[in-house]
Amino acid sequence: MNLLDIRNLSIELETPNGLILAVDRVSLSIKEGEVRGLVGESGSGKSLLAQAIIGVLEDKWHVHADRFHWRGIDLLRLTIDERRALLCRDIAMIFQEPMSCLDPTTLIGDQLGEAIDSSQLSGFFWQRKKQRQEAVIKLLHKVGIKKHNQCISSYPHQLTEAICQRVMIAIALAGRPILLIADEPTAAMESTNQAQIFRLLANLNQLKNMSILLISHDLENITHWTNTITVMYSGQFVEAGTTEQIFNKPMHPYTRALVDSSTKANLQLPPKSRLMALPGSIPILQHLPIGCRLGPRCPRAQQTCVAAPKVSSFHGHKVSCHFPLLRETVKKESAKRKIVKGKN
Amino acid sequence: MSVLLDVKEIEKSFKLKGHWYHKQKFTALSPLSFSVEAKKTLAIVGETGSGKSTLAKILVGAETPSAGKIFLNGQMLQNKRFKQRCQHIRMIFQDSGTTLNPSLTILELLDEPLTLNTDLGEKERHQLIRTTLQKVGLLGDHMNFYPHMFSGGQKQRISLARAIILQPQVIILDEALAALDPSLRSQMINLLLDLQQQMGLAYILISHNLGIVRHFSDDVMVMSHGKVVESGKTIEIMRTPQHKVTQKLMMSQNFQLK
Repeated sequence: MNLLDIRNLSIELETPNGLILAVDRVSLSIKEGEVRGLVGESGSGKSLLAQAIIGVLEDKWHVHADRFHWRGIDLLRLTIDERRALLCRDIAMIFQEPMSCLDPTTLIGDQLGEAIDSSQLSGFFWQRKKQRQEAVIKLLHKVGIKKHNQCISSYPHQLTEAICQRVMIAIALAGRPILLIADEPTAAMESTNQAQIFRLLANLNQLKNMSILLISHDLENITHWTNTITVMYSGQFVEAGTTEQIFNKPMHPYTRALVDSSTKANLQLPPKSRLMALPGSIPILQHLPIGCRLGPRCPRAQQTCVAAPKVSSFHGHKVSCHFPLLRETVKKESAKRKIVKGKN
Repeated sequence: MSVLLDVKEIEKSFKLKGHWYHKQKFTALSPLSFSVEAKKTLAIVGETGSGKSTLAKILVGAETPSAGKIFLNGQMLQNKRFKQRCQHIRMIFQDSGTTLNPSLTILELLDEPLTLNTDLGEKERHQLIRTTLQKVGLLGDHMNFYPHMFSGGQKQRISLARAIILQPQVIILDEALAALDPSLRSQMINLLLDLQQQMGLAYILISHNLGIVRHFSDDVMVMSHGKVVESGKTIEIMRTPQHKVTQKLMMSQNFQLK
């Protein structure tokens, strides 16, 4: 069953010049125990989408959706308080830059203890404090921090960034969430630390069957860790499918360009040769192109692209493009076969 | 090919606070030597605290080395003689958003190095700024804009324009590609490679991303705790990493060359 099922979610921003459609009809579904990657460059609305899911957007953002189900419950019908209570219990989020998200004036141990709900503690009120302490230590062990005493009695600035991110994950785990939303958890981190954090998330996914929504701006960094990937561009849905489908047979010109421009995916390229790159730059929110927002940069754009394309599905591989790439190659192949047959 | 930049036994240590009878020293860089040829790229990889940024600062002249000499075209670069140095060695930083002065237009930004380092008249300077902006893929009319009117990728191009406007020989890229979005990053790599061929530049690339290092550089130098642990041709090192630090770096990025 789908854990999270979002269909055609739109987010609009109220500005003095009227509403701006920041996220345009994006669909996202997460199955139980799956790691889903959400990839998009800056300004693609991926963080907005994550914030809309957990409902922490400000009032100036208007969220609409055709369907917004969490484990079969229609969230749109609930009041905001009910929705918050439900999502607080089941979903947790970790942010980029852990140093700035932790309270700099409070000890790590206190911050962790705060996150533990008293309903998880059994026992009389005089036993609670000790139990909380034990729960904190257990949480720290879970995220792989062995020197728990030292960690508990230090402030965030005394710890390294990777340890801080581990503490953030520990705080997120305190509520025993079913879904963890990781919004660029390894931005501005060293590669060795990045690998540690990703490995920790993968472990949690395997051992606790926790689903993870992994948000990143770089496709090549997360392909190793995800089962399925959704790609967004400038607030529009681009492509969704399994990691293999996206990485090996991209159908959307944008995903194709992302994979081609990745230096890791093209190791056979001779060094210092030119990389494939899309012309132009990412449009800003005030001047979004109409129709398919990739249009002005797309190498395959045609006149029909001024209308927003509909999502089409090929064996679970969803793509939103008027001229997806796979069809052509199939046609070419079949044409080749025909020629061969004709010769025979 | 002739050696462009030759670094010999560079060393840097900082004095730490301590008593007069108990002096403490922190060695940021142990003696190291390397050389770069024109039209070649040297990549420096390593963890934070491995001294790669200190090395970049010493090369560009922002720090003075404790010992050692730097030769450019056989000529020794003296410490604190910036006029000589900043014409030939330029640097691009990671975050272009914060390294451009927001209160100056692009014209004023690019004019600064020219007035300080050359004797060109106003008309010539403007002409040079115009051609340099066109070289990095922007329009000449962009010079009346302020930095906030540009996107991240364009800002990085302006930093590049500021670096190449004095016709340097060496450009140091300190994580200059890390903060860019992937589709803009490949544009930038193409631009840098083109400029290298046109102007005969030598690059010193400091980067975490081994994919870029493999694509972009000819030689690589792996650093750890202020020491060079491995150096040589990029392809050979990536094929057969010898040192533990290199192996760990490659493991952490799931990077394998066959």
